[in-house]
Amino acid sequence: MGLLTVLKKLKQKEKEMRLLMLGLDNAGKTTILKRFNGEDIDTISPTLGFNIKTLEHRGFKLNVWDVGGQKSLRSYWRNYFECTDGLIWVVDSADKRRLLDCKKELHQLLEEERLAGATLLVFANKQDLPGALSFEEIRDVLDLTSIKTHHWQIVGCSAVTGSHLLEGIDWLIDDISARIFALD
Amino acid sequence: MSLVRKNGADLIPGQEGICVEQEDGEKENQPSVITPDDVLKMTRISDGFLCPPEANIYDIDFTRFKIRDLETGTVLFEIAKPQPGDNIEVPSDDEEPVDPNAGRFIRYEFTPNFLKLKAVGSTVEFRVGAQPVNKFRMIERHFFRDKHLKTFDFEFGFCIPFSSNTCEHIYEFPPLAPDLSQDMIDHPFETRSDSFYFVDNRLIMHNKADYAYNGGLTSSASASAGDSHLKEGDS
Repeated sequence: MGLLTVLKKLKQKEKEMRLLMLGLDNAGKTTILKRFNGEDIDTISPTLGFNIKTLEHRGFKLNVWDVGGQKSLRSYWRNYFECTDGLIWVVDSADKRRLLDCKKELHQLLEEERLAGATLLVFANKQDLPGALSFEEIRDVLDLTSIKTHHWQIVGCSAVTGSHLLEGIDWLIDDISARIFALD
Repeated sequence: MSLVRKNGADLIPGQEGICVEQEDGEKENQPSVITPDDVLKMTRISDGFLCPPEANIYDIDFTRFKIRDLETGTVLFEIAKPQPGDNIEVPSDDEEPVDPNAGRFIRYEFTPNFLKLKAVGSTVEFRVGAQPVNKFRMIERHFFRDKHLKTFDFEFGFCIPFSSNTCEHIYEFPPLAPDLSQDMIDHPFETRSDSFYFVDNRLIMHNKADYAYNGGLTSSASASAGDSHLKEGDS
């Protein structure tokens, strides 16, 4: 985070954060977004574009972007990197078959220059499903401990039950605000 | 809660000079490009639409508007455009001449309780045509008469070709002075909004809405979702 960026953030009247939520298709990104905002999650179809929510949380204005994860859409992800403060990577912990694909996509993102200043939160989602890998197992499969370039955290959660969603988001906000609003 | 949708032409009676269609004479002068700065400076609702429907060269199509009460989760208002496959016969746009302003205006009718809501979520859903869209930005300005109530200014940024996208703004209602609130209830449809949409800082769409808060005596949280349809080209 360059000094200019810091100053730009400080100039804003509202403390604003841009969070980008990505992951393979069917990971549960939209469900997490809707659950977090108290919306009905019974009728969610694959995202063929983006879903944005702007909301106030703990005095911060959060702009959360959930971009579709289908293979044909992933090449468009880079259009949403600019100004991202926090990257939320959502994993279907029960989809063992695609975990290597998941790992590859995540590590590619972390090499992106425009995401260099972003904090990484990994949601090991679908912990409510039988056969889901634990967040420790997901951490190992995704090789998160090798990440030295970004602040990161992994949280096991369930978008369906809502468990640990808030915990994850709050960690993300704390980490971002400690980095970019520290001069307040 | 009921919804009455009218097209731009229907707006004119009783609201002379507020929302008139562009006159022929004006159409001959090539209108200069309208920028975000232009509309942010406006101190009242615009006279007429500031761009023709044809300015939307990106085929951006609004398919849903929804307002929900955050405290109860109740959907207060929802209007969706039928999609192909919805089992509803929609006449295709080119079969019959249509009012060019159809679909550019929404009339909202709420009960007084609406003004007491603390936090609402306001959702738009839109589709994008074959071209990628850059720097897509919405500026929405709300006025009661000439009093500015609220401005939303949000940049969606890039939109994927053929994508379907949603955006929900969750916000606290601006605190309204009781006398202002009463004035808004007593003067239906004098609360108005302009929604301006820009691509690369050029105005490409302009929608209008007006609002009444004197709806019937039933609870405001009783609208059922999906009972209204926005049918472009249908009148």
